[in-house]
Amino acid sequence: MLAYTLRRILAIIPLLILISIVVFTLAKLMPGDPFGGEIDPNNTNPEYIEEMREKLGYNDPIHVQYMRWITSFAQGDFGKSTTYKKPVSEVIAERIPNTLFLAITSLIITYILAFSMGMYAGRKPYTIGDHAIATFNYAGIAIPQYIIAIVAIYFVAFKLGWLPSSGSYTPGLEEGTWDYWQSRMQHVLLPAVTLGVFSTASYTQFLRNDIIQNSRKDYVRTAKAKGTKESAIYNKHILRNSIIPLVTFLGFDLAALIGGAIITETIFTYPGIGMLFVSSIDTRDYAVVMSLTMLLSLLTLLGNLVADLLYGVVDPRIRY
Amino acid sequence: MKRSLTVLLSMMLLMSLFLAACSGSSAIKEKGKDTITYAVDQAPEGLFIPGFAGSAIDSQVNDFIHDDLIKVNEKMEYQPHIAKWESDDNITYTFTIEKGIKWHNGEELTMEDWQFALEVIADPDYDGPRYNYVENIKGADEYRKGKADSISGFEIVDPYTAKVTFKEKKVNNLENLWTRPMPKKALEGLAVAELSSSKEVQETPVGLGPFKVKKITPGEYVLLERFDDYWQGKPKLAEVTIKVIDPSLSVGSLENGEVDIMEIRPDDVEQLESVPHIDVKEQEGLGYSYIGFRFGHWDKDKRKAVDDYEKYQDKRLRQAMFYALDREALINAYLAGKATPVDSPIPSVHWIRADDSELTPYHYDKKKAEQLLDQAGYKDMDGDGFREDPGGNKFEIKFGHYAGPSAFEGRAQAIIQNWKDVGLNAKLATGQLVEFNTYNEMKDNDDKELEVFFGAWVVGSDPDPSGLWASTAEWNFGRWVNEESDQLLKEALSDKAFDRDYRKDKYVKWQQLFNDELPALPLWENMDLYGMNQRLHGVVIDATGLRDFHQWYVK
Repeated sequence: MLAYTLRRILAIIPLLILISIVVFTLAKLMPGDPFGGEIDPNNTNPEYIEEMREKLGYNDPIHVQYMRWITSFAQGDFGKSTTYKKPVSEVIAERIPNTLFLAITSLIITYILAFSMGMYAGRKPYTIGDHAIATFNYAGIAIPQYIIAIVAIYFVAFKLGWLPSSGSYTPGLEEGTWDYWQSRMQHVLLPAVTLGVFSTASYTQFLRNDIIQNSRKDYVRTAKAKGTKESAIYNKHILRNSIIPLVTFLGFDLAALIGGAIITETIFTYPGIGMLFVSSIDTRDYAVVMSLTMLLSLLTLLGNLVADLLYGVVDPRIRY
Repeated sequence: MKRSLTVLLSMMLLMSLFLAACSGSSAIKEKGKDTITYAVDQAPEGLFIPGFAGSAIDSQVNDFIHDDLIKVNEKMEYQPHIAKWESDDNITYTFTIEKGIKWHNGEELTMEDWQFALEVIADPDYDGPRYNYVENIKGADEYRKGKADSISGFEIVDPYTAKVTFKEKKVNNLENLWTRPMPKKALEGLAVAELSSSKEVQETPVGLGPFKVKKITPGEYVLLERFDDYWQGKPKLAEVTIKVIDPSLSVGSLENGEVDIMEIRPDDVEQLESVPHIDVKEQEGLGYSYIGFRFGHWDKDKRKAVDDYEKYQDKRLRQAMFYALDREALINAYLAGKATPVDSPIPSVHWIRADDSELTPYHYDKKKAEQLLDQAGYKDMDGDGFREDPGGNKFEIKFGHYAGPSAFEGRAQAIIQNWKDVGLNAKLATGQLVEFNTYNEMKDNDDKELEVFFGAWVVGSDPDPSGLWASTAEWNFGRWVNEESDQLLKEALSDKAFDRDYRKDKYVKWQQLFNDELPALPLWENMDLYGMNQRLHGVVIDATGLRDFHQWYVK
């Protein structure tokens, strides 16, 4: 297993290099650069713009620019954001905690909801409760995330006033205090639920079907015949088997959540890396766009790796 | 074990939901009596010392924190503010400021702070976009090239008096002078190259304005508090929160009181007007929309426009195309009625704007459009319903428009339909709306597809339109070359132009020329729209935006 893990990690390196070439080329092929676009004609003159392009090397041949970028990138220097006038690593580091907090909260909510609903529906299939859950799930799978987000904002935030519609905390609160964390919790809840709806729905259905299938297996019948309590059968025997495939989703989920946060964060004006990504593309802030794409690619690759390794952990039959 | 963990997690979730539900709206209700929230729909870039900031949002934030030595009034005329000035020869100006004006850190404002600002901007390592506001001062170039230790045209007489000498006598020198001092004591220890990324600029800016920064959360909030020693008197509000929200949330946030004031889009007006506690404020702004024509290309080496494209040379064709546009209907349908049709490319708030009686009004007139086209020889010869050009060849107008909010698609199609109604076969260039950056690049490179194109400008307080319409202007995207126009624009900046009537007269003549030649069709002036909670009072809005922040109060 160790050899396998190492082999997989090594295989990531050439992949990342290939991705970097694609990402860089695509970024540079995008029309416009940070100095085009809506310019106030009285504030910025064409000479200044040309001078800046020259200074930042945007007029060099593309392979020269690539080599310059990748060499410093490999050395941990992600460049300087043209928009925020700071090192990209700082800009991203500022936003990552918010995104992680959102992703983890979303994951927790997803798992709790999926487990409770999936277990219920699996134990009592074809009842009204099961149908209700199924309706909810199909809606969650079918409706696009941005629509759910807007509807949630409209009802929960504007009509009912239960939760805030935007931001990550109420300004003016002292960081680290109880009020601060409570405010952060309130702010993250709505985006987190929205972000998790799709996976909640698919997990629930998955778990439900797996439980139903398992409950017809021989070992369950044996347990029943021996007089084991119903709850013990479901909670111990069946759940343990049904959990296995779900656990492996965790790996894929990490990358998916962070990627999915792009839409959610933008709508909720939640300042994480998703919102940063969208605004950087708008302003053609190359250094930020490229670093974030590399980061997301790396996360996806690592997520896959984690998923593959988890297979082996939860199912001893799988050997590498 | 596993079970207890699940139970614990569920408890946590339930508890947080409960907490959220019972105190969720506390953020709104607990807001202090003299605290307000001002919303912007894009994150600031975070450069909170003017001189480094380039984006509109940063400038809006900076208006709360900083103040200017001189200011423009509602007609865009320059007025003394912190500083007064005098000049005998219009080349050397003597500025004086009052004693005892305080920076947020308690230091007194002196002319050294202004000198510092100018020298930072003229420094070779400076990475902001404002050097053109310093370059007209004598000696700025030498300083920038490292040949001088100071800018020779800036001379400090005493801490409260300074003399500025310009390179040449130009009537808009003052408009193009940098008059925002920087807090020298707070910044002087830092290398110029590092200033823009420093904490002193991004997190703890020191200003002269009515509010000082309390806390900045990048991408999310700028929290400001009252500056008691503000030179125009203690501001009435205790705190201002500048908050970033997505444009889709603006109506809801104003409605439920989360936001007290923000700039809004025309699409939101109707909905907001029905909210009882919200006022919609309209203000003629500095922005206008136009339709440009392609006359040639930009010669990059000689830095001037060359007119070598014949298709739209006949001004009767352009006039006919203008008459064919039902601008009132377009404004009502796609801008919620919040724009004013204009026939000049100078914003009405500028003092040089020609009176409407001096210009030909191009009201919607289908007959006149058809007559003009007939006269010019654009007639339907093959009976397909569309006019051919005077040579009898098929004539097709390619109209380009950039992508954006959903109203753009309809607006572009409506314009095309207007032209089709008078027999001009118009169609959308490239077949669809073009992504904004691509569109700008196409304009920059004189792309052949963009023969007729939609555009918009927001101009500054300097009324001189040379930067957009002179034949040597890079942003003259139609590449319009007209000697008379260049001549008039030059005369309006000449020595004689120090006489305001003379200057205005030249600009009026220029506008009349533009109005007749129509190198572009000035369509309408956009209205700046603000949604404002009625609890907020004392807000003054003019074409430059919000002002007099120290007078704002809550009732």
